Amino acid sequence: MPLAIAALGFLFLGLFLLYPLFNVFSASVLDAEGEKFTFANYLKVLGRPFYRAAVTNTLTIGVIATITTTLISVPFAFALARLPVPGKAVILALAAMPLVLPSFVSAYAIVLLLGRAGIVTQWLNSWGIGFGSIYGAGGIVLVYTLTLYPYVLLPTMAGFRAVDVSVEEAAQSLGSSPRRTLWTVTLPIVIPSILAGGLLVFIETLENFGVPFVLAEDMPIFAVEAFKLFIGETAPNPSSAGVLGVLLILTTAAVLLIQRRYLSARRFATGTRAAPPILKVGLGLRIAAAVYCWTVVLLALVPFFAIVVLSFMEFRGPVLHPNFSLDNFRILFDRSMRPLINTLLFATLAAMAVTLVGVPIAYVVTRVRSTLATVLDVVATLPFAIAGTVLAIGFVVSFNSGWLILTGGPLIMVLAYTVRKVPFAVRSSSAILHQIDPSLEEASISLGRSPLQTFARILVPLMLGGILSGFVLTWVTVASELSATVVLYSGPWRTLTVVMFQALESGGGGVATAAASTLIVVTLLPIALLYRLVRRYELS
Amino acid sequence: MTGIVIEGAARSFGSVRAVDGVDLTVGDGEFFTLLGPSGCGKTTLLRMIAGFCELDAGEIRFGARRIHQLPAHTRDIGMVFQNYAVFPNLTVAGNVAYGLKARKVAGAELAKRVDEALALVQLAGYGERWPHQLSGGQLQRVAIARALVIRPQVLLFDEPLSNLDARLRVSMRAEIRELQKSLGITAIYVTHDQEEAMSVSDRIALMQSGKLEQVGAPADIYRNPASRFAAEFMGTTNLLSVGALRPEALRLAADAPAGWPRLAGVLVRAEMLGPITRLDVRLSDGTLVRAALLDDPGRSMIAGDTVTFAYDPARLTVLP
Repeated sequence: MPLAIAALGFLFLGLFLLYPLFNVFSASVLDAEGEKFTFANYLKVLGRPFYRAAVTNTLTIGVIATITTTLISVPFAFALARLPVPGKAVILALAAMPLVLPSFVSAYAIVLLLGRAGIVTQWLNSWGIGFGSIYGAGGIVLVYTLTLYPYVLLPTMAGFRAVDVSVEEAAQSLGSSPRRTLWTVTLPIVIPSILAGGLLVFIETLENFGVPFVLAEDMPIFAVEAFKLFIGETAPNPSSAGVLGVLLILTTAAVLLIQRRYLSARRFATGTRAAPPILKVGLGLRIAAAVYCWTVVLLALVPFFAIVVLSFMEFRGPVLHPNFSLDNFRILFDRSMRPLINTLLFATLAAMAVTLVGVPIAYVVTRVRSTLATVLDVVATLPFAIAGTVLAIGFVVSFNSGWLILTGGPLIMVLAYTVRKVPFAVRSSSAILHQIDPSLEEASISLGRSPLQTFARILVPLMLGGILSGFVLTWVTVASELSATVVLYSGPWRTLTVVMFQALESGGGGVATAAASTLIVVTLLPIALLYRLVRRYELS
Repeated sequence: MTGIVIEGAARSFGSVRAVDGVDLTVGDGEFFTLLGPSGCGKTTLLRMIAGFCELDAGEIRFGARRIHQLPAHTRDIGMVFQNYAVFPNLTVAGNVAYGLKARKVAGAELAKRVDEALALVQLAGYGERWPHQLSGGQLQRVAIARALVIRPQVLLFDEPLSNLDARLRVSMRAEIRELQKSLGITAIYVTHDQEEAMSVSDRIALMQSGKLEQVGAPADIYRNPASRFAAEFMGTTNLLSVGALRPEALRLAADAPAGWPRLAGVLVRAEMLGPITRLDVRLSDGTLVRAALLDDPGRSMIAGDTVTFAYDPARLTVLP
């Protein structure tokens, strides 16, 4: 059975991941007609200062955003793990929200608040106070910091909690002060978790399309320029977009490789653990920690809150008037309900497909020890390193002609979403499978259930909670997917994100805010339901 | 009920020969133990019988039936695992009923057999409990009931007691032995604990590096080890130039018949363990000899004393 699963997994990922990527690569090394092999495209693209700037801008912004998120998140994580902060459960729930809310919505809210015609900007100007432009690198880094910090916060907090208390006690019994112990023992143990989170942030910044699209203005950014090149390219072979795509993939791959090499040498597993105690600290520090945690968590959510409020106000073109109005929603939904329906439909289909593909692959990866399983693991993780824009370009190039034509329909979008989210399903399912002892399966088999029955009767019930959360997370992130969607949508198959994207391009602020706040509701509703479900399940 | 025949069983993992040509016959109703240090191949051999590990060569038969190519779920085996492997998503009764349902047993018959099996392991009335409400010992009883209730041809135990505390281990092993004998099911038991092996087994196969080192009744292997490895693995052994001698074969010269050979040396350490006292004595040639004497209130010895032992030459094992 594992062999059959592996074969199907390879077939799916081969056709809808490796083949499109191969076509992106070959587009980058063929001439405009798509006939002759050449490296001229690389020289052409990299020879232009504009695209070289795109490379440096993207990397610079990525590095700065990684540093700022880390600086914000590590003290935050320490406070949550080790200090007496009131309302920890609520803080945690709120802190996870930016992970599922669309970051370009946050970016757009920043424009509405702090942009040239922004509400806050105008209010400050009326007092004679001005501040630098929010457009360009500064604004992008700000939005990345506010939306990506949970990537560092969550693993770092888990890291702080996993430090075996006896290690700290050993250090103190050897004469190390609590402060010195923190710097010399606790932090070094947690550093791999911090780095793993920081890496996620960096890769997200490389791949992100929406935030720079809203905020970069004239500043060239990798993912945006790849998209513009692809849309604008008229020759039969999209060679320049291919070049940017390949460079983007190579950059991410290099970062991942460096991290793998670094982390493989530093795995500090501390033995059986007693959860480290909450530290006793003075009142001043306690207040400071509480204020800090609550400020960060709320600040990150202010843009989303603002969008919801603004979507109920009157817009004339892009200009905002402070009157309550339902016009934005009326315009959005009068035009057509299709974008909303498409969003819900695609998210559901993709979440189902991701579960069906990801869970069996996770089973093979965790339970079979062979080179085949390792290769499958690597291939199934690969989409994580591929920007949505690049994958989508590969899809268009691959399925625009020939024996399998998918462009122009909805299926190509669902397939692209599925491939993009497979790594998350595989990761989350294999995390659960690692905790399920294989002897449970062997017990079931030796009691007379075939491997397939065993999977259905023992593994699926045990994995159900994880599969369900994976499903909801996929659903939610697909609903707000932008970077692959803008390349792949066509005609009637627009989604809410496309509506917002188009409204932004044409300056229709009202529709954009209405679409954005609908998107926020669509994202948060399933999460809230899941949360209640899990709570009830845990209580029973 | 069935005897088990293993012929030329072999399996390699990479360059390691985990099981290296094992021939073994286990009698009908016998309690047979595979004993050896970790990595000796005992668990691999057990998993071959269970069907979780394929053979590179050789065959396994239950009675006249060749089973080594059957899928594991059709072999009709009851297996008890080291970590219990009790299904956390099913109640105690659900766990015990699991194999019966796979055999299409239903209704009153199902309930009756589940109750009988639970009573057999002294868990009557525990059917509606959930696994997380039970102790380790109780979990292992559930696992045993679950394996017994299907009335398997063969029972397999994979270090079933190693996760329990020392006292419970001793009482559980007696229970397992009694259950197996009263039901008469052929059992194969894997352990690395020689005392446990000696206590439960009709016969023991001592394994090392994928091969059988010695097969025999517990007392036979203990008293007549076939090799230095067997002698040392089965308990403390004094390896003298003349042969191997168990610590309890030594007596103080004063208490021994005159004709017995003597060994004199200086007491290095005396260890009072309650019923017995252990003595480490260094002989004049430098050899360290370990002796175990029953406690005697009239005796007092301290390190540095000169001690003379004597032994029955019949209890000396000459190793090849």
